[in-house]
Amino acid sequence: MDHELESPILYRPVPGDAPRIDRFEMLRYLGYTGQRIDDELAARIEQTAADLERSVVPRGVRRVFAVDATARDAQGDPCIRLVGTAVELRGTDIFRHLKDARLCAAIACTLGMENERELRALSSQNPLDAALYDAASSAYIEAAVEAMQHDAVRAAEAHGMSANWRFSPGYGDCPLDAQPTLVAALNATRLIGLTVTDQNLLLPTKSVTALIGLFDGEAASAHDRPSCATCRLRDACPFRERNTTCHPAL
Amino acid sequence: MDYTLDPTAPVTAALAAGDTYRPRTLDTLRIADEALRRVLEGTRHLVLDGGMGTMLQAAGLAAGELPELLCLTDPDAITSIHAAYVAAGSEVVTTNTFGASALKLGDAATVEDVFGAAVRCARASGARYVAGDIGPLGALLRPMGTLSFDGAYELFAREVRAGVAAGVDLFIVETMTDLAEIKAAILACRENSDLPIFATMTFEEDGRTFLGTPPEVAAVTLDALGADVVGVNCSLGPDELRPFVARMLAATDKPVMVQANAGLPHVEDGRTVYDIAPEPYAQAVGHMLDDGIGIVGGCCGTNPDYIRLLADMVRGRTPRERRGEPALTVASAQRLVALPAAGRRIAVIGERINPTGKKRLQQALREGDLDYVVGQGISQQEQGADILDVNVGLPDIDEVRTIVDVSERLCAATLLPQQIDSTDPRAIEAAVRRYPGKPIINSVNGKRESLDAVLPIAAHYGANIIGLTLDEDGIPETAEARVRIAERIVREAARYGIGPERILIDCLVMTASTNQAQALAILDAVTACKQRLGVKCALGVSNISFGLPAREVLNATFLAAAFGAGLDAPILNPGSERYMDVVRTFRVLNAEDSGSAAYIERYASWTDPYKGERTAGVTSTDALPDRQNTDGTIRHLILTGRKGDMPAATERLLATCDPMELINEHLIPALDEVGTLFDQGRYFLPQLMAAAEAARAGFDTVRSLMPAADIEPKGAICLATVKGDIHDIGKNIVKMLLENYGYTVYDLGRDVEAQRIVDTVRERGIGLVGLSALMTTTVKNMEATIELLRSEVPDAKVVVGGAVLTPEYAASIGADYYAKDAAETARIAEEVFGG
Repeated sequence: MDHELESPILYRPVPGDAPRIDRFEMLRYLGYTGQRIDDELAARIEQTAADLERSVVPRGVRRVFAVDATARDAQGDPCIRLVGTAVELRGTDIFRHLKDARLCAAIACTLGMENERELRALSSQNPLDAALYDAASSAYIEAAVEAMQHDAVRAAEAHGMSANWRFSPGYGDCPLDAQPTLVAALNATRLIGLTVTDQNLLLPTKSVTALIGLFDGEAASAHDRPSCATCRLRDACPFRERNTTCHPAL
Repeated sequence: MDYTLDPTAPVTAALAAGDTYRPRTLDTLRIADEALRRVLEGTRHLVLDGGMGTMLQAAGLAAGELPELLCLTDPDAITSIHAAYVAAGSEVVTTNTFGASALKLGDAATVEDVFGAAVRCARASGARYVAGDIGPLGALLRPMGTLSFDGAYELFAREVRAGVAAGVDLFIVETMTDLAEIKAAILACRENSDLPIFATMTFEEDGRTFLGTPPEVAAVTLDALGADVVGVNCSLGPDELRPFVARMLAATDKPVMVQANAGLPHVEDGRTVYDIAPEPYAQAVGHMLDDGIGIVGGCCGTNPDYIRLLADMVRGRTPRERRGEPALTVASAQRLVALPAAGRRIAVIGERINPTGKKRLQQALREGDLDYVVGQGISQQEQGADILDVNVGLPDIDEVRTIVDVSERLCAATLLPQQIDSTDPRAIEAAVRRYPGKPIINSVNGKRESLDAVLPIAAHYGANIIGLTLDEDGIPETAEARVRIAERIVREAARYGIGPERILIDCLVMTASTNQAQALAILDAVTACKQRLGVKCALGVSNISFGLPAREVLNATFLAAAFGAGLDAPILNPGSERYMDVVRTFRVLNAEDSGSAAYIERYASWTDPYKGERTAGVTSTDALPDRQNTDGTIRHLILTGRKGDMPAATERLLATCDPMELINEHLIPALDEVGTLFDQGRYFLPQLMAAAEAARAGFDTVRSLMPAADIEPKGAICLATVKGDIHDIGKNIVKMLLENYGYTVYDLGRDVEAQRIVDTVRERGIGLVGLSALMTTTVKNMEATIELLRSEVPDAKVVVGGAVLTPEYAASIGADYYAKDAAETARIAEEVFGG
């Protein structure tokens, strides 16, 4: 593997260069489907997003690992291993995502503990501000991971490789119990302050881990974007109920 | 001392059992030899080793594997790494036990086996000293995380006992980012061994740990907790760490250690290498030796080549002698308040979190409504308090549990250091033990019983104390007699190693209405205490005006006089502009507000309240609209989410209709209407919530104007996010709406044990339990919670909600109701409680 590709790379945009929160994305998290928003509420939403962009800088780390798709898990089912790590990814969805990839770009990103503290403080004092801040934070971490994915794909392309989309533990049938080893393999606790609870949830809560397949030729399932088909919430999804989706339209 | 009698308050329990507290000094420690003692005294350098993880990875360890297991599976490899460091000049080797907690090891090996093997590997290297390494647990502690302080303490204590049994010479607690976690680790070392403790934290380029702790807070707190060496490791190279280390050196007299990284990693020829070579690394460490550090070593990316140069550098050299400016220091995990002994800086202690005479706060504490209590902390922080007094003493609540909960919740929501205020030593110890920082204890007094109970707690946890000038004979009348009691407190404190720099004397203000002659005597006592005893002084100023009119006027004058007499820390309500005017203006006079910048910013466009028209009481009665219009106004205000105008509109309507009618005929129908609009998709979530905010303002107005008896309680509901789940935004929205419908809501928060929910149902007479879970993995805990509720409190109805739930799934786990959103929950509540 190319060594430059293999190095852990920190993501720490300088404050002016942090990703922008997509206001529309933020509204969608709040259940927006075209209602009329008066000026006062619009200003409050804008203020929340702008304050967050100013006060919090996302941190991330990404690293490329070789993919071993010949492994079997304890039940004897095929699984993906990241070579040189203890990471084992189970389930057919992640298997399909990475089985033809030579390499995998693993990403961890977080809005950090100050964001978590603010989420907690607001939720005890002002539920509306908390809901707005929560939605803004969700849109912000998405934007940050998007930026990291963009960097990862560009780096792969510079080495003549193609990439598919980003897949996170918890999608489809990939269990969350991959989080502790994934976080450990990226040294993300030390490098970006990311921890995992005993129920395999990431803390700070506004954090994401993701896996992108890198291919020598055409990327497999490159266009197989996240969709309701792989989502375990599809039967009780508030977005689908409103005839929309939580992800951008395909 | 036996620390096992009561995990909540071990010192208090041991004293009750007849133990005597011995403060920690070098003489109470088991120190391997004279040379190590000199290191701890700050007169000898010490060379530690360098990176272990990077050496192991260079040897082929997989990322994410447990390196500690190699002590058992490949001890020779570990020993040879230690031996290479010893050959390079390391006097201390650090055991390969960074992650050897039961939490990380899981079923792979026992803590005892790993420590036993690790110490054997280290000893086999021939090192002069073997340090038992204790790293972070990898799980976040409460309040931000889910691991309890006591849980963390137990995990560390097991490591410490294993290290002692295996024969380590000292402990290195390292790479910590959470002040609560490192506190748990240090206490575990102190209470389970008598070995020296080296403690380091890790700072990012912004000069804070991931949890927001700056170097001076770390230095002050770790020093106070009894770490024998404090310092910095990991994250950055030595040049980048130097300014952080300098800030630590200025904040502690303890020896300081540094273990920097060799810069940043990159991969070269298939191997991870770091970008700072040994020579420039050593040179940069040399600068820190000049600054005054005593103990050197390396972290990630360093190897024996780096250590050899460090060992060469300290050979024949002795640490620079240094002596910091003494100061009273109070710290939260994020903020340091320092009052230098030589200066005249002042700090405002906010007094609002004290239920005495505050009905609303009493009610909140009794009902477990900690959000209200936390709100009192947030507002005082905004008003300019520097320290928060925390007192939850009510005769009919569990003070020990409550003060711990309140203190923890305040840590999550405010940045201010706390002053733990109680008359119960067990409550004081419980809160101080778990407080991440260096708090003040309020208070000890001259009574023998108080001195014997409180000073050991302050000594053990390194806390500051407020000493009240009263004793068995009460509060003396003269200044001289007050100073004598203060003297006695200072003398007794010294026996526990507590110097005057950790003491605030409160000379106790008596009201001028009955003790007029004493007013100035109190101020004389303040001046005398400071001059003769070298302590700082605190004072609860507002007592002076008790029984007199226009109290704030008199209090403000007394406050100014007290500052003149030398008062350092007034205990007051920072919500009073008048007091804060005195504080801010005095900060100009004592040169604390440099260049009067803050004063000018605040008062440049100030309106003198003594001049011009009084503007209070403008609520006009001439424009009283008729009832029909007012009703329309309230409905309109709720529908458009205008909370600002609600109190006035509600007040007007109350003139013509009774409270229950207002609630049932006006507020609730408007909320119902909003709920329908939300269901139809014509409103989205923020609009629903803004309407709820407006309705809330209306309810609050009704409640504040009407006797509680006139408002019929509608029923009690308990809400919780189930064990293991940490998402609570949806639950909080439900809470908001239910409260607006007039229900009494007990919000237990997130990650809640089933048993606690059952207990609450029993204690509070709960009719409906709302459970939330967002993850498929935690729905199992929801099912288990419902099962327990069914068997223990079968009469309580259960409504569930959360992203992964469906009506069918909710039924299958035994819930009575499934609610897809907050509006639905409100309708279900109406059904359960009969509308």
